[in-house]
Amino acid sequence: MLDTLEAIRTRRSIRRFKPETVSNDSIEKILEAGRLAPSGSNLQPWRFVVVKSQRVLDMIRKVSPGYLGSPPLAVVIFSDRVTSYAKGGRLGRDYLTVADCSMAAQNMLLAAHALGLGACAVKGFSAAAVREILEVPEGIEPELILMIGYPDETPPVPPKHPIDKIAFLDKYGKAWSRSQGEKA
Amino acid sequence: MKEERAITGDDYLLELVAFLATSARGCIDEPPMYGPLRLIEALSRLTDLPKYAKCLKEDEFLRNIKTEIEQKKQSLVFDVQEFQDMVDRIVLQVTKELKRRGSTSLIPPP
Repeated sequence: MLDTLEAIRTRRSIRRFKPETVSNDSIEKILEAGRLAPSGSNLQPWRFVVVKSQRVLDMIRKVSPGYLGSPPLAVVIFSDRVTSYAKGGRLGRDYLTVADCSMAAQNMLLAAHALGLGACAVKGFSAAAVREILEVPEGIEPELILMIGYPDETPPVPPKHPIDKIAFLDKYGKAWSRSQGEKA
Repeated sequence: MKEERAITGDDYLLELVAFLATSARGCIDEPPMYGPLRLIEALSRLTDLPKYAKCLKEDEFLRNIKTEIEQKKQSLVFDVQEFQDMVDRIVLQVTKELKRRGSTSLIPPP
């Protein structure tokens, strides 16, 4: 099993998959990683639909322009806007749902990677179409689709901003530097 | 559950329609650069039409374009210039192919 920092460092968005299926044991570990994500006001707005049926996977692919490749598994992450509003008000419904589901997604992507799987979070889909295909009730919104399977590619690291361009020390705009941080 | 059957030209056409319709909706909210990406993806998928619509014949020129797209389309994430160069090359190749095959206007004469 990968060390957490190593998993973060080596994870990539995988869009080409081998045809092998993913075991239910691995799927449960991935779901558990999502379930244990941090949650504002402990709303836990996430709902997960595991899609293993080739017919349903194919329908989702057809209405998801950002869904490339043919993974043997997808997990669609939904947010429950109704219960989030009831417990968390507008902040809960409009912001924490997205933030919490994103944190759950990252946990799940890292869990998949640690299990030797590849995955990619997809936002390029028609929410209306996904709702229709999966027969989703009102108030439950699709947030992300995780494509999951055994990787059949090793993508390079995409360009990332250096730390001194995105991290600051004590005030916004004063670049973080390791030596300054140690003196403070 | 429906029985498995071979994909027909009609099936593939409907799949293309689904891709274009959902892409059109997505492009309203998505980053502007996703527009070119969706169009190039649509182009790649169009080149597969002869596989399913038997009234069309396999076209090596289109197959080569698809190969280039599949190799380079993800470059948009890493290097916009590389993606742009690929699109420029495809436009030039298509223009040369139009010239080579001779123009047949779809517009009726006045």
